[in-house]
Amino acid sequence: MRLSVILTRPPYGDVQAAEAVRHALGAIGEDMEVRLILCDAGVMVAKKGQSEGDTGYTNLGESLKDVIEMGGDVIADRGSVREFGLEPEDVIEGVRIVNGYELSEAVKESDRTMIF
Amino acid sequence: MAKTFTIFLTTAPYTHENTLTAVRVAESALGKGHRVNLIASGDGVYCFLKGQKAKGIPHAGDLFAGLIARGLKVYL
Amino acid sequence: MLTIIKSGPDTSEGRRALKLARDMSSDIVLLQNGVYFALREQLDGFCGTACAVEEDVNLRGLREEELERGLKLIDWDELIELMAEEEEKVVGAF
Repeated sequence: MRLSVILTRPPYGDVQAAEAVRHALGAIGEDMEVRLILCDAGVMVAKKGQSEGDTGYTNLGESLKDVIEMGGDVIADRGSVREFGLEPEDVIEGVRIVNGYELSEAVKESDRTMIF
Repeated sequence: MAKTFTIFLTTAPYTHENTLTAVRVAESALGKGHRVNLIASGDGVYCFLKGQKAKGIPHAGDLFAGLIARGLKVYL
Repeated sequence: MLTIIKSGPDTSEGRRALKLARDMSSDIVLLQNGVYFALREQLDGFCGTACAVEEDVNLRGLREEELERGLKLIDWDELIELMAEEEEKVVGAF
């Protein structure tokens, strides 16, 4: 089963980003082939240097690293990365920055899609 | 001079960041000697359910209980 | 006047709030996703006083050198002071 999880919302303001990462991790745990697709403001989940302090939030940058370490494929839309002012060096290692064609191919290749 | 802050909270505890913002505003205002009211309306009332089990996100039940003990007045 | 903005530049609510603050000559405080307005070139000609809540800036990994020059980082206590001292009114949070 190839699952694409598409995230278009930025982290922390609402629960969507945390849900996307959580379900991606859950699906990897169920031995699915998981691709987490970050576009629009969702690319901000891949920003380095997130610091949860004593807010009580899980650091989603660290959770994204877990997705990558566990074998998930994390891709970020190049246009969105640019639009949100991220330089490639601002992006967490292991996140692939892809163009619109590659992004659409990634969605086409998947068996199921979840959108957050 | 002490003022009155009234927070109107309408969102569920674990869907939006409003929970933490309301907590932070209430705790700072109480700390500075202001009166703080919180009116929970719509899904905001779920912030005050007993027995919440939250992890990885600010725990609405525990945080608001602590603030009520410090003088936060909550109206459902 | 003080306008509090919690919605980001990617939303119509956030953009509307910034335009309204500009039109009302209001100062702004950015929190939650609103702190993304603190990044350079997001404030779109806004020329009042702009503050952002530091905890929400740090949570999102925004570094000080990425932020608009002249923008002030404040903690929650300072937000309460701004709200309590505001003589006209506080609008928001959008």
